[in-house]
Amino acid sequence: MNAPLGARILVIDDEPQIRKLLKVTLQAHQFELHECGEGAEGVIQASIVHPDLIILDLGLPGMSGMEVLRRIREWSQVPIIVLTAKDQEGDKIAALDGGADDYVTKPFGMGELVARIRVALRHVAKTTDEPILRFGSLTIDLAQRQVELEGTLVKLTPTEYEMLKVLASNAGKIITQRQLLQQVWGGHHHESDSHYLRVYVGHLRKKLNEDPTKPRFIQTEPGIGYRFLLPAE
Amino acid sequence: MMSERIKKEMQASHGKRVPAYVWVTLGVTLLTLLLHAIGMSVDLVNVALVYLFPVLVSAVYWGMGPAVYAASFSVIMFDFFFVPPYLSFTVEDLRYLISFVVYLAVAILTASLAGRLRQQLEMVKAREATTNSLYALSRQMTAITDLNTLQVNIATQVSLTLGKPAAVYLPDGQGDLLVTSSSSPVSEGEKDNWGDGESEIAIAKWVYHHGQIAGKGSSTLRESPGLYVPLRTEEQIHGVLAVSMEAGEVHEQQEQLLLLEACGGLAAGAIARVKLAEEARLAQITAESERIRTALLDSVSHELRTPLTAIIGSATGLLENDTLFTPEDRRELTGNIRDGALRMNRLVTNLLGMVRLESGMLQLNRKWCDVGDIISVVLTQVREFSPHHNIQVELPDDPAFIYGDEVLLEQVLVNIVSNAIKYSPDESQIIITVTSNKSPSQLTIQVDDQGVGIPEAERIRIFDKFYRSESTRHVTGTGLGLAICKGIVEVHGGTIVAEPNPGGGTRMRIELPMEAHGSRFPYSEQGEVEE
Repeated sequence: MNAPLGARILVIDDEPQIRKLLKVTLQAHQFELHECGEGAEGVIQASIVHPDLIILDLGLPGMSGMEVLRRIREWSQVPIIVLTAKDQEGDKIAALDGGADDYVTKPFGMGELVARIRVALRHVAKTTDEPILRFGSLTIDLAQRQVELEGTLVKLTPTEYEMLKVLASNAGKIITQRQLLQQVWGGHHHESDSHYLRVYVGHLRKKLNEDPTKPRFIQTEPGIGYRFLLPAE
Repeated sequence: MMSERIKKEMQASHGKRVPAYVWVTLGVTLLTLLLHAIGMSVDLVNVALVYLFPVLVSAVYWGMGPAVYAASFSVIMFDFFFVPPYLSFTVEDLRYLISFVVYLAVAILTASLAGRLRQQLEMVKAREATTNSLYALSRQMTAITDLNTLQVNIATQVSLTLGKPAAVYLPDGQGDLLVTSSSSPVSEGEKDNWGDGESEIAIAKWVYHHGQIAGKGSSTLRESPGLYVPLRTEEQIHGVLAVSMEAGEVHEQQEQLLLLEACGGLAAGAIARVKLAEEARLAQITAESERIRTALLDSVSHELRTPLTAIIGSATGLLENDTLFTPEDRRELTGNIRDGALRMNRLVTNLLGMVRLESGMLQLNRKWCDVGDIISVVLTQVREFSPHHNIQVELPDDPAFIYGDEVLLEQVLVNIVSNAIKYSPDESQIIITVTSNKSPSQLTIQVDDQGVGIPEAERIRIFDKFYRSESTRHVTGTGLGLAICKGIVEVHGGTIVAEPNPGGGTRMRIELPMEAHGSRFPYSEQGEVEE
């Protein structure tokens, strides 16, 4: 299930140098690149070009990256990867909760960016009705509500199962604490309940025989949320 | 205290003057009766001598006036009762008149001598009191190092010494004179905080600008109820000291003027001293910040230029001599560019962190966080640039939760573990130990390495900004990492120390209070049944 070759990527970033860097390297990775340096134009471009993925800089002059994100999300489910300068957990969370699929911090490694682009593109391609998720030795049977690790059944409580399901079906993608709370506990959660998440993630890790210091499945994104790791390709 | 006593004594001596005459009258009368009863009326010389006694007593105890009165009254009594013809003022023998005059002269002379002695005694006493109060004042003032306390103290002390309300005026930043401190009223009936009035401030301003004494008892503005003394040292006038004067005798006012001037001198000296100390402190701070700025510039220019040189050199090399390089060379040069950029990124991150800490912009985003989780994130970050160290983690059985800022605590640990890696040889072991204590409820994170260790003298200084140990100058760094760690840990209410590792190397120990929020982690099993 590789990303479709020649996927069209729209880069919205005001820095010509970053655009140039992205253009050269992503074209080398066989992507088709479109670029624009300004938020309002980016929104228009997104509707004209019909990109398969958008790379959006949060720190745009004029119309802010957040606003661009909101406008595009009004009519499109195109995957959006946010490019941001570090140290702004609040911004990242806002972007993710606002519909971004992932974030990459500046300065970034190109390998990481390409990996994220692949994950985001694959999510679109993937049909969600697949009943069994497989991650190396871990199998999650969504139809049977059963989890198997190395061939043996893992007993999970309903909440633990729900969390694992949400994380695993978004494998490779980052899930914010709020998204996780919302999807597992529904609308009744409270933002301050996030410590329950930690307890449950702790239990889940233990049951998946995971050394918390060497995450195999669930990786913590500090201050933001969790990411279910894809097995090394 | 001292001043109150003087005041009372003065009032007493003033008030007793009238009863003194009554006492004299009574005493002389009684003496006359006694002499009569004893029947000494024939021995006139003895009687006259006995009559000198009340004169002396009055002179010693009550001063000149009562003594003269006693002398005159005695002469009259002597004449009336003892000089023949008895019970009449007529004198039989005119020679008695000479005796009377001589007697009176002797009595008055004695009285005046005794009176002067007494006056001198009183003066000495008053001076002693003044000296004492000035001494107390100066002792009080030398101990104070803070200008505000000093002002209040001056006003209170002067007010106590003189027994009158006092106020201190000091110029503000713009040079306008303000009442900075006024004593509370000494006795009832005086209005609160004397010196706040417009006219009082106006006079104070005049005194401040002209540097002359004004007010009651001085040569200027005699009509004013207050007395204003400039607080003057050799170079400048620091402010004005004012005292509310009641109507009093002229010589008393003169004395108080002198006393006030002395107080003013003391106060001016004290204010000048405090101001100088303040200036010295400011100068020291400026010098220190200058030093830090120089260190920052040196360090930043060096730390930024080194990787920049590497990046520019490698990049231009690649651009200009593309054909010269083998693929391996090219790999090496691009790797150089990446490493230089990564190094610059670390420096920029640290500098930004420091700026955020210093400017107070750092706000804790406190949440319950799992320490194991934080360490796992730290390890993923650290492993990227150090695949050659064996890092072991020992976590407590129960998951340790702490109420703090996850991202910042992670930064602390990344800095410390990176340091452990930086300063210890490849393939050596780094052990991270987490222990939690119930009471006092605190979390300890220890990072042990087997590296070069830190000399004892430097164990505190390594947490200073831009401090680099002499022995490790060859390792790149800015000396900011640990300063940031310290800042973050302290914002969390914890402590961070460097200790020798019993196994050789360094042990960094972080202690964080777990109940910073007043409650423990609301940890509870959810009671769910496993499916």
